[in-house]
Amino acid sequence: MQAWFADFKADFKLNFIDAARWKWLVEGLGNTLKITFFSLLIGLVLGIVVAAVRSTYDKNQEAMAKHKGVGYYVFAVVNAVCKLYLTVIRGTPVVVQLLIMYFIIFATSRNDVLIATIAFGINSGAYVAEILRGGIMSIDNGQFEAGRSLGFNYVQTMIYIIIPQVFKSVLPTLCNEFIVLLKETSVAGYVGVVDLTKAGDLIRGRTFSAFMPLIAVALIYLVLVVVLTSLVGVLERRLRRSER
Amino acid sequence: MSDKMNQDSVICVCGLKKHYKGGVIKALDGVNAEIKRGEVVVVIGPSGSGKSTFLRSLNMLEIPSEGQIFVNGVDIAGKGVNINEHRQKMGMVFQHFNLFPHMTILKNMTIAPTTLLKKSREEAEKKAMELLEVVGLSDRALAYPSQLSGGQKQRIAIVRALCMEPDVMLFDEPTSALDPEMVGEVLDVMKKLAKQGMTMIVVTHEMGFAREVADRVIFMDAGVIVEEGTPTEIFDNPKSERLQGFLAKVL
Ligand SMILES: Nc1ncnc2c1ncn2[C@@H]1O[C@H](COP(=O)(O)OP(=O)(O)OP(=O)(O)O)[C@@H](O)[C@H]1O
Ligand SMILES: [Mg+2]
Repeated sequence: MQAWFADFKADFKLNFIDAARWKWLVEGLGNTLKITFFSLLIGLVLGIVVAAVRSTYDKNQEAMAKHKGVGYYVFAVVNAVCKLYLTVIRGTPVVVQLLIMYFIIFATSRNDVLIATIAFGINSGAYVAEILRGGIMSIDNGQFEAGRSLGFNYVQTMIYIIIPQVFKSVLPTLCNEFIVLLKETSVAGYVGVVDLTKAGDLIRGRTFSAFMPLIAVALIYLVLVVVLTSLVGVLERRLRRSER
Repeated sequence: MSDKMNQDSVICVCGLKKHYKGGVIKALDGVNAEIKRGEVVVVIGPSGSGKSTFLRSLNMLEIPSEGQIFVNGVDIAGKGVNINEHRQKMGMVFQHFNLFPHMTILKNMTIAPTTLLKKSREEAEKKAMELLEVVGLSDRALAYPSQLSGGQKQRIAIVRALCMEPDVMLFDEPTSALDPEMVGEVLDVMKKLAKQGMTMIVVTHEMGFAREVADRVIFMDAGVIVEEGTPTEIFDNPKSERLQGFLAKVL
């Protein structure tokens, strides 16, 4: 027992204390959080825009088709582009998207954290868009009609009547999407980003001791995910209580 | 359409058609109708005859395939019409109430007047409370829709529409989703409204209401108006075979 403990201490020292290797983990965690946070922002903006285009098109297609103007055709094209975006992004692995971003689209840039952030942002935008659109579609059409029949235009109906209801129903799902995103960024090492996972792996390569760094990495992810998940749980309970 | 003859007609529908699936389904197949100011018109007919489609067209909730709908002389199915302004003047009550679940009753009633008519909150709330008083629900002003019974919800839906001070009120089977004991309270509100001279178009299966309140009854079948007349003409003296058959089933 004593011997095992001494081993453990030596191993710990080798992996984290020597050459201040713990700093790699801190730096990696910093990059992981940075990439997650900013790609979350990009994803939200993209997702909101795409969801708005897609559901506006679906809801107003008939009315616009009646008096076909230039706007109608422009809108149809924009809608088709959004659809293509959703299909491509959701139909290919995120690692492949990341590699394409890094080696093809931004081949001349070596700002790997930025490129990874953009890649994950574009990826999560597609999922956010579908979550939001699902939320909008799940609202009874009678709510739209009631809003429109009072004289609200489409945008006002969305703002005052639909979005507050969608927000409540999709917020937990959205938060879970971001927890998934946090874990997904662990493939950022493919394009040379030293994120949390890569940092652990680098330590392993130096010390030739796999257990400590990899378990440490796993524990850090686990703690983050557990904390975030419990926050979502609190949020969910709050929302349900205000539902009456 | 604004010649002298039609001065007291609020709505005038000409050759209204609504087709689905490229013309396979003819929900409306050439409807002509005129509604006069202050008139209470009840629309009856078998299921699928196009009653809802007709009513909803008056509000552009259904977009006509063909035909014109003149409201106060303006063709609302035409190009360049501000449909939102038109809808503000035409209240609509739905079978399933469609109250906004995330707002209190008071907010349900004031959101449109404050946002669209730019009324002050005090003014809108005062008006809302008056109307709540009329329908006997002033004590529920701060409740949420889910805390109300069906009959209460529908009474709120009616006064919510009235808060916009519409010229015309449309009702699409307002009592069909209600338990029988709640039908009366909603019909009472509608009767009061009719007495005050509101122009009303009501799709309903409540023949008693039609007989008592309607100035005119329209019988629709297969997307057209088959017969129309006073309640006495329609219920006691039906001319067409289709109406006779329909009445035999529902009365
Ligand atoms: N979106 C749609 N697509 C295809 N057909 C439709 C659509 N909406 C309505 N219809 C058809 O149009 C016809 C008229 O429908 P409508 O709802 O106006 O009838 P209704 O008289 O209101 O019937 P009910 O008493 O059952 O409410 C029906 O045959 C219906 O199936
Ligand atoms: Mg109907």
